[in-house]
Amino acid sequence: MDRRDAVKSVAFLLGGALSATTIGVFLEGCHSSGTKNSANLFSAEQEKLITEIADIIIPTTSTPGAKAAGVGPFISMMLKDCYPEEAQKAFVKGLEDVEARSKKEFNKSFLDIDAKERSKILGVIRDETVAAQKAESDKTEAERKAKENTISKKSEKEEAGKPMAAKERGKKPAYFFAIARDLTLLGYFTSEIGATQAYAYLDIPGRYDGCVDLKPGQKVWAT
Amino acid sequence: MSNLNTKATAQNTYDAIVVGSGISGGWAAKELTEKGLKVLMLERGRNIEHIKDYTTAMKKPWEFEHRGWLTEEQKRTHPVQKRDYPYQEYNESFWVNDLECPYTEVKRFDWYRGFHVGGKSLMWGRQSYRLSDLNFEDNLKDGHGNDWPIRYKDIAPWYDYVEKFAGISGQAENYPHFPDGQFLPPMEMNCVEKSVKKRIEDHWKKARIMTIGRTANLTVEHGGRGKCQYRNLCSRGCPFGAYFSTQSSTLPAAVATGNLTVRPYSLVNQILYDKESQKAKGVLVIDSESMEHIEYYAKIIFVNGSTLGSTFLLLNSVSNEFPNGLGNGSGQLGHNLMDHHFRCGASGRAEGFDDKYTYGRRANGIYIPRYRNVGGDKRDYVRGFGYQGGAGRGNWHAEVAEMAFGGEFKDQMTVPGAWNMGLGGFGESLPYYENRVYIDKTKKDKWGQNVLAIDCEFKENEQKMRIDMMNDAAEMLEAAGMKDVKTFDNGSSPGMAIHEMGTARMGNDPKNSVLNKWNQMHEVKNVFVTDGSCMPSAACQNPSLTYMALTARAADYAVSELKKNNI
Repeated sequence: MDRRDAVKSVAFLLGGALSATTIGVFLEGCHSSGTKNSANLFSAEQEKLITEIADIIIPTTSTPGAKAAGVGPFISMMLKDCYPEEAQKAFVKGLEDVEARSKKEFNKSFLDIDAKERSKILGVIRDETVAAQKAESDKTEAERKAKENTISKKSEKEEAGKPMAAKERGKKPAYFFAIARDLTLLGYFTSEIGATQAYAYLDIPGRYDGCVDLKPGQKVWAT
Repeated sequence: MSNLNTKATAQNTYDAIVVGSGISGGWAAKELTEKGLKVLMLERGRNIEHIKDYTTAMKKPWEFEHRGWLTEEQKRTHPVQKRDYPYQEYNESFWVNDLECPYTEVKRFDWYRGFHVGGKSLMWGRQSYRLSDLNFEDNLKDGHGNDWPIRYKDIAPWYDYVEKFAGISGQAENYPHFPDGQFLPPMEMNCVEKSVKKRIEDHWKKARIMTIGRTANLTVEHGGRGKCQYRNLCSRGCPFGAYFSTQSSTLPAAVATGNLTVRPYSLVNQILYDKESQKAKGVLVIDSESMEHIEYYAKIIFVNGSTLGSTFLLLNSVSNEFPNGLGNGSGQLGHNLMDHHFRCGASGRAEGFDDKYTYGRRANGIYIPRYRNVGGDKRDYVRGFGYQGGAGRGNWHAEVAEMAFGGEFKDQMTVPGAWNMGLGGFGESLPYYENRVYIDKTKKDKWGQNVLAIDCEFKENEQKMRIDMMNDAAEMLEAAGMKDVKTFDNGSSPGMAIHEMGTARMGNDPKNSVLNKWNQMHEVKNVFVTDGSCMPSAACQNPSLTYMALTARAADYAVSELKKNNI
């Protein structure tokens, strides 16, 4: 099984919604000086922008959306506390890019365009992100295969034990849209609104029933 | 002056000292105090009071600032603990700051540690399986490691004894080499698991079975403790006392005797050897807060500081008589380090259960006991593996596009999606002499001690086994009708399973083992080592239940020897 599948199987264990970038941060962390002086990472305008982007990713439907659940400030805080400097920079750059695209296409700030226009911009960025990640994973795969060919030339003894080592994840580029989406989903579905209204939350179930009939309208259980 | 010394000595003297307060230390304290001994239990970390100090146990998901994630600062101070999932915001205070207690990785070894009363009994996985004669005889039969000095009949009554007290839920199966125990009612399988179980057992005509995990979670009230509430938040500490831990179980029993003294912040640096009596006379403690050095004395010393913690202590206890570590005439101390290798198997999607769901969060999975290299089965590797896994239904929908967003996507995420079933192998690793630990004198920890160097790797036997661990899992899932079955191998470095074992092995021959069949040091008769360090082989089962049984058995023997004036 290739590395991409390995990462996917981790994603499966975590519930399937997280991107590889996020899993990398979550499981491996990054060796970085981190956290220094990140208090002023975002301008006030950018903080607003984050809130609006999150609300496009998870809007109000029959249940309240990301804005109502306070996901915007959550994302800002998480970027400051839990991400290495490289990812922070990529995220700020991503916000600038969103604003630039809005100005170019609609001649207005992202904050002043409507939801449909916002979705259009984010859709384009999403498509570009998917393509970039695919290209990156193809490249990694090619490198891995090349490396494997080199390794197989070494004696068996030299490599004994090593192929089993837990996979060290190489540094992956941080993608603005992937981080924004991951943190929106995390922040929303673990918020009180998300967990109790969009999902169904049981504080103290008290029992386990392994086989119940799915009731109409039953939501996914929050964990 | 000599009067003062005598008085101080008397004040610091107990019948027995227990080093460590985790799963095995708690058992040692309980057994020794219940047999009337005055016991001092020494714990290097802080106290954690049952329920009161489980500060995150009742928090809701949204009450965690980072929703479980680690901050960059936590990653910086916990470079080892952060390597895998156990260290999270939910119970971050239960894991060590790696910067304070460094060790040397000659090869990668993930050493997960918790310094506090209760040790890893607060965070353990709770899966509890007996070893069988298949395991006790493997070393003798295939020649790896040394022969176990005991057989199943020697430990069976002690498994009974500890299970009755700890409370293990499970299903009796009457399956070869997978001994049943004194079980509380089993937890329930969900509908997919029930179907998979039936199809695997039919397909292999019960040569392979699947049972619900045997776990130290109470399915009914037991011994004054509450039953499991199916929150699946065990590793934060259980406010219902519904799983076995030192705090919920052995500590209250020991305290009730009136014979127990617990001293937190007491890092045992050395066991003090008395050459006149040829016994240990006590221990040297570093107060881990004040750095003060204090000696305590006792007739019996139980060493329960975790596999590598205990071995460090023994290696660090040097004297003219034991220049290479206490009771290390055999030269085996520090050698034969083992851990389980895991993180490989398969998963697939179950069809036909779309109208079914679950209620409650079961902190348990399923178990498939070892069937490889059993009876007539012969593989190109020795020993075997068991599987843990389970089925679940989350929010995953095949039709959701990559990186989808928006209202439609959101609503779909809230609807129960596909059922998935996964199986992950836990494989036995062999006791290789060259997989070892030793003291690295070039580094010091926060308390001025030298540190441990760990030089351990998995080898060819484990690697070959992993191929079966993946392919057998896929084969069983396919036989059970799962779709889109995919194998995975995420790699496994020693230490990751947190089942480190060996380095002070038991054996009949003092020339090639550290401990005898009673977990008593061959060369220092009043020192007993009953945590994972004593294991001559690793088997493939989760080992903690065996430590409990060995500890209770050793305590019984120690007290009878003490009464006979033999120690």
